[in-house]
Amino acid sequence: MQEPIVQIRDLTKVYGHGEIEVKALDCVNLDIAAGEFLALMGPSGSGKSTLLHIIAGIDRPTGGRCIVQGTNVAELSETDLADWRNTHVGFVFQTFNLIPVLTAFENVELPLLLTSLNSTERRVHVEAALELVGLADRMKHLPRQLSGGQEQRAAIARALVMDPTLLVADEPTGNLDAHAATDVLALLQRLNQEAGKTVIIVTHDPKAAAYARRTAHLEKGEMLNGDGSKRL
Amino acid sequence: MTIPGFIVRNALRNKRRLILTVLSVALSLFLFTTLQTALHLMTHPPTTEEAALRIATRHRVSLANVLPAKYQFRIERMPGVRYCSKFTYFGGIYKDQSQSNFAQFAVDADRIFRIFSEMVVSPREEEEFRKEKTACIVGAKLLERFGWKVGDKITFQGTIWGCDPELTIRGTYRGQGIDETLVFFHHDYFDELMGDRGLVGAFWIKAGSAEVVPGLIERIDAAFRNTDAETKTETERAFQLEFVSMLGNVKLFIGSISTVIVFTMLLVTASTMSMAIRERSREMAILKAIGFNASEIAGLILAESFGQAMTGGLLGCLGAKLLFAHLDIYKLSGGNIPMFPVTADVVALGLLVALGLGVASSIVPARSTIKATVVEGLMELD
Repeated sequence: MQEPIVQIRDLTKVYGHGEIEVKALDCVNLDIAAGEFLALMGPSGSGKSTLLHIIAGIDRPTGGRCIVQGTNVAELSETDLADWRNTHVGFVFQTFNLIPVLTAFENVELPLLLTSLNSTERRVHVEAALELVGLADRMKHLPRQLSGGQEQRAAIARALVMDPTLLVADEPTGNLDAHAATDVLALLQRLNQEAGKTVIIVTHDPKAAAYARRTAHLEKGEMLNGDGSKRL
Repeated sequence: MTIPGFIVRNALRNKRRLILTVLSVALSLFLFTTLQTALHLMTHPPTTEEAALRIATRHRVSLANVLPAKYQFRIERMPGVRYCSKFTYFGGIYKDQSQSNFAQFAVDADRIFRIFSEMVVSPREEEEFRKEKTACIVGAKLLERFGWKVGDKITFQGTIWGCDPELTIRGTYRGQGIDETLVFFHHDYFDELMGDRGLVGAFWIKAGSAEVVPGLIERIDAAFRNTDAETKTETERAFQLEFVSMLGNVKLFIGSISTVIVFTMLLVTASTMSMAIRERSREMAILKAIGFNASEIAGLILAESFGQAMTGGLLGCLGAKLLFAHLDIYKLSGGNIPMFPVTADVVALGLLVALGLGVASSIVPARSTIKATVVEGLMELD
């Protein structure tokens, strides 16, 4: 296995406090290598999305460490964390989450507005990202003018446009029909295999998980071994 | 696309709400500007270099008490006095009460337009006014209102004084930023009608220079101290402000209404912005997830709120300025309001209020958006 790009050590996440305390993650340890395609699986409430959020820097752990490319993301200030997310993480959501008043091109351009690139440079990057996901002919379409699969591909282009270290996807096929889901998963697989992107997806669908090179299982906030037993 | 373009696109996403909000801000600030202009007119009489040279002497007790006309000789001999004119408010009725909302004054015909040199009368008309005891000079707006012509005869029925002067119009006066609805006639004629009682309402004095004004005020009042009719002498500005104080606490009244307008507007804009941002809490979370930090998010919200309020502000304040500049307020108010100039100060105040509204109404939505984590924002509508 290559040098891990993500190192998770004794990661704990507790929601609430006192009698209503819920342990979403309990001493989770995980290494993810650069260029890996990992599927995080588990039933609802197992903590897989929470783990993904912490890796992506949109949530903070209660305890333990989450080191991504040598940076302990939990120790970053809110401003530094926002900059870090902009540069290192491309996030794909279950519900696409495109801005409805912006075209596909403008949605993909959004993360680039935070950089010092001029409009010509931004155009080059956006067109390349949309080309990569097969949406070059839908650039001027608003999200409502796109199908679910096309919306998700535009969201993947937005996640890719900054050329991030990690591409993370939370149930990326949850809102898609079988055909569109296959397209999106094949796209993620191609990005992993051909572009060498490190991809982490959260899913409870074994068919989706089959596209990944490795699967990690979570249950009640704990990481399971390959045979379903709890890791010691 | 640019960040400002993104802000505009967000602001325009609910056009009906945007238009209604902008219009409500515009109408409120139109009303605010109108009220502030009214207040400004009452509390900030025009101050010119000429006005700074003018002082008024009246009875110490009140404007309703009269002074002996003989005071004029003593005042005129005081160092620093250039001109002094008798000035008695006549308050007569022209035809009927409803049309008589303009003032008439008995004055010294040879001095009044030296003292109030902003009132421009042609030399020929002034000469004819001086020569004829029953002549009068009327303001240009008044002449236009009643369709009078030079040479027409007009009669005023006395209400305060027991006489009915019959006057011949011998000319008109005009002037920039002055009341053009007054009538001036000879004090000599008024005295004659009143049986030469030697009484006068007040004196208007023009000093030789602004430096001598404070000393002159003291000297005049000192000269008539311990007499039956002690005087109160003051600058033109102080004299005019006294009329405002006679109307009661108008300033407080207008100030209270203006505050209510601003506060109500703040509630409306704050509620609209909160609603607009709450509807987009998920999108705000997405922006955070893709790298927008707290100050950038706050900037987006502030800019949108500021844009809405300032658009309304510009429409309301500049709309008021343009409207009142083109409307014939004198005619529309039936002669009650001679002029209604919306000054740059009032427009600036209105725009400052709009700016404040924009900033204040963005505080709550910006704070709650920044406070919410990305995960909370994403879960909001899930």
